[in-house]
Amino acid sequence: MRDPYELIGVDRTASAGEIQKAFRKHAKKLHPDLNPGDKSAEEKFKEITHAYDLLSDPEKRKRFDAGEIDATGAERPQHRYYRDYAAADGDHPYANSAGYADFVDADDAFAELLRRGQRARANRRGADLRYRLDISLLESIAGATKRLTLPDGGALEVKIPPGLVSGQVLRLKGKGALGAGTGGPGDALIEVDVIPDPRFELQGDDIYVETPISLAEAVLGGQIRVATPTGDVSMTIPKGSNTGTTLRLKGKGAPRTGGGFGDEFVRLKVVLPKSPDHELEAFVAGWERGRSFNPREDQRS
Amino acid sequence: MMMTKQEFLTSSGLHVQTLELWLDQKWLLPEESDQGLNFSDRDVARARLILDLKNDLRVNDEGVDVILHLMDQLHGLRSVLAQLRDALPEETARDR
Repeated sequence: MRDPYELIGVDRTASAGEIQKAFRKHAKKLHPDLNPGDKSAEEKFKEITHAYDLLSDPEKRKRFDAGEIDATGAERPQHRYYRDYAAADGDHPYANSAGYADFVDADDAFAELLRRGQRARANRRGADLRYRLDISLLESIAGATKRLTLPDGGALEVKIPPGLVSGQVLRLKGKGALGAGTGGPGDALIEVDVIPDPRFELQGDDIYVETPISLAEAVLGGQIRVATPTGDVSMTIPKGSNTGTTLRLKGKGAPRTGGGFGDEFVRLKVVLPKSPDHELEAFVAGWERGRSFNPREDQRS
Repeated sequence: MMMTKQEFLTSSGLHVQTLELWLDQKWLLPEESDQGLNFSDRDVARARLILDLKNDLRVNDEGVDVILHLMDQLHGLRSVLAQLRDALPEETARDR
């Protein structure tokens, strides 16, 4: 690290005002944003700023003069200068072509090059726009057509293919921001969120549902209607079904990635009549074999 | 990375009234959206540059106006020069 007085170019006896004046003179020449093409300017500017930080603080200057601290010390936090953002890509709100607008109209090879550059920029493809869309579990399994209302008031028709899972992104070609000239529009990218359905539990391609059945249906068997993602279907309950009995509806699950469908598993749950039923009570009380059956036999220790 | 007005104020260290003033002057042109203003890293760097101009270099507001205008033109020129640099090899190749 060079001597800070030397860097700024002042005597060791210089007043605070003189130091400030000398620093500003350097900064005007060396500020990286005033020298966008000069890589060495940033390095020099950093040195000058650093020296100024030391000498402009009376306390630090005193300690440096007394030899208590050296010219190193804490650096200013690094930051990127504006020139790093204003570089080659001219497509931002601050871009200004007034500096060469007159050249473009000329009739020579140089103007032709400029015009070609302008055309390339004028025919920029539109940006991709990102959206999120919530769909129900049933829509994710059966597929659907949804309307997505856009922030600008417009709407997009989104075809949801069957078998979509949360986080998947649909690309609608040409539905993004308008491009310039012949650049063409960008795409709309729609990230889909599948809202879970309390009735259906999805495990891979298979669906699990719980269906309540009456005691009569459990004992005698029968036909019941069961909800599936594609609508209710009729299912036969075998005689002597129980709570926990699980029946399979083949192909009523979610679409498999390789083609075909998973299955729906229907878990039965026997539900007694809500209000106490005297006839049932009387029957069970006189039902010898029912009373002697102990379902906890296996659990006895 | 885009940031909200509040994040921008934190990141740039600007006072909210200073920001309003600079927006009025069109020194900063953040993106406008339904949720309010969207600031980019470019806007933060530009705000730092303006701070440097005003504080370190003692440039007054009129001077900042002139400098930003010329700087934007300078970067326009640099960007077209970069495009020309990219286009030139094609040209020389065809002439050969």
